Amino acid sequence: MSSNPPELIRLERRDLDMLLTYESGDQFTVTYDDIRYSCPCAKCSPLRNEDESSKSLRRQIEALSPEKPKVKPVGKYALAFEWDSGCSSGIYRFERIWALANNQDPDDGRAYVHGVW
Amino acid sequence: MAESPLSVHDPNSEGSQDMKPSPQQQKQMEQAYAQMKRKMSMQEIGKKIKHKIMVLSGKGGVGKSTVSTGLALSLAQRGHSVGILDIDITGPNVPKMMGLDGRRLHVEEGRIHPAQGHLGVKVISMAFLLEDEDTPVVWRGPIKLGAIQQFIGDVEWGQLDYLIIDFPPGTSDEPLTVAQSLPDIDGMVIVTTPQDVALLDSRKSITFSESLKVPVLGVVENMSGYTIRGNGPSNSQVTISGPGGKSHNTTTDEEGNFSVTLDIFKEGGGKSTAEEFGVPFLGALPFDPGFVRGGDDGVHRIVSEPEGESAIAFSKVVESIMEQIGSSSGPGLEII
Repeated sequence: MSSNPPELIRLERRDLDMLLTYESGDQFTVTYDDIRYSCPCAKCSPLRNEDESSKSLRRQIEALSPEKPKVKPVGKYALAFEWDSGCSSGIYRFERIWALANNQDPDDGRAYVHGVW
Repeated sequence: MAESPLSVHDPNSEGSQDMKPSPQQQKQMEQAYAQMKRKMSMQEIGKKIKHKIMVLSGKGGVGKSTVSTGLALSLAQRGHSVGILDIDITGPNVPKMMGLDGRRLHVEEGRIHPAQGHLGVKVISMAFLLEDEDTPVVWRGPIKLGAIQQFIGDVEWGQLDYLIIDFPPGTSDEPLTVAQSLPDIDGMVIVTTPQDVALLDSRKSITFSESLKVPVLGVVENMSGYTIRGNGPSNSQVTISGPGGKSHNTTTDEEGNFSVTLDIFKEGGGKSTAEEFGVPFLGALPFDPGFVRGGDDGVHRIVSEPEGESAIAFSKVVESIMEQIGSSSGPGLEII
């Protein structure tokens, strides 16, 4: 995952996904299901560690009614997505969004380890 | 308290005349009126204070109050108007660190006026209300939370650029009360030390992040390293035996001086913590015995040595925080 992603200048919320435009003019699409599935909060992250819980998380997300989230900037480093259903706790760093836009693993292959802060 | 403008009106009574409420009803109405006034006041205070920053840690003894006072003084050094709200009801020690030991709060027309410490930093703390510093505060949750709401709603802070809120360790009710009472909190600064035991139990952080929904501005590593200095023959090799028997090699300069930073606990715990949680690392603060002396004497290290190593480290942390909250709308991001 790139530690210095290019600057995200436009985020267009569509019905099922969002269209991201970066300063270079490059555009990417990220589905809301992918955003929800990669939620970095301490509750969702551990579920991606194991195959079974990861699949279960994906199924739960896909079973939710489609909805367009509210998107709010968090400082200068991240975005927060607010949904009527499901988890809204995650704060998504721009690096994470960039990884998703490029179909890369936003966790960079690392398992989530509880702990910290 | 000003007389409540409330009375009971019973439309079914003869001639629709006002009835006098019972003392219990009157008390309930007065409490509701005071609560409403306080709520409105909290909203108003929220507007007068530009930035509100919570300082927390999962573990006690990591130096939260030291960091809170250091951040406040470092911001004040830059010319900002700053206040500190010491929410640690049972163990308040901010006043001592700010040279305000033994001071009392001034109350005028039902409003509490904060005490002013070094560099004009305004301070509100439970310590100001204790008869003597050895008196323990043994309050159950609701009383404690009532006091916190009073500290937020009934305090005349005036216009502030920054309000630093210092919490007791852990994830108890206090941060939740503040987050629910004070609008538009910019975020929280998490203080840690480079030890494994300073890492928090995951369940606490889950409950906490879900309940609060306050963004993490970043992690500060306190007691990061202790720098020792000495001298010897110029350009000579020096070996220092550090904690855990780890050897540190360095070379003296032309004048024979050398310095070595020893990691008293571990190395880089705060940074890895920040990376693990995907939040910014705000910086590391050195292990500085001067903080202990300064805390006891009431002269903060930043005040006694404004150009010192610790003051510089705090200044860097403040820069990182200001960078985080400098733009709430992201880097020119258009969201549609």
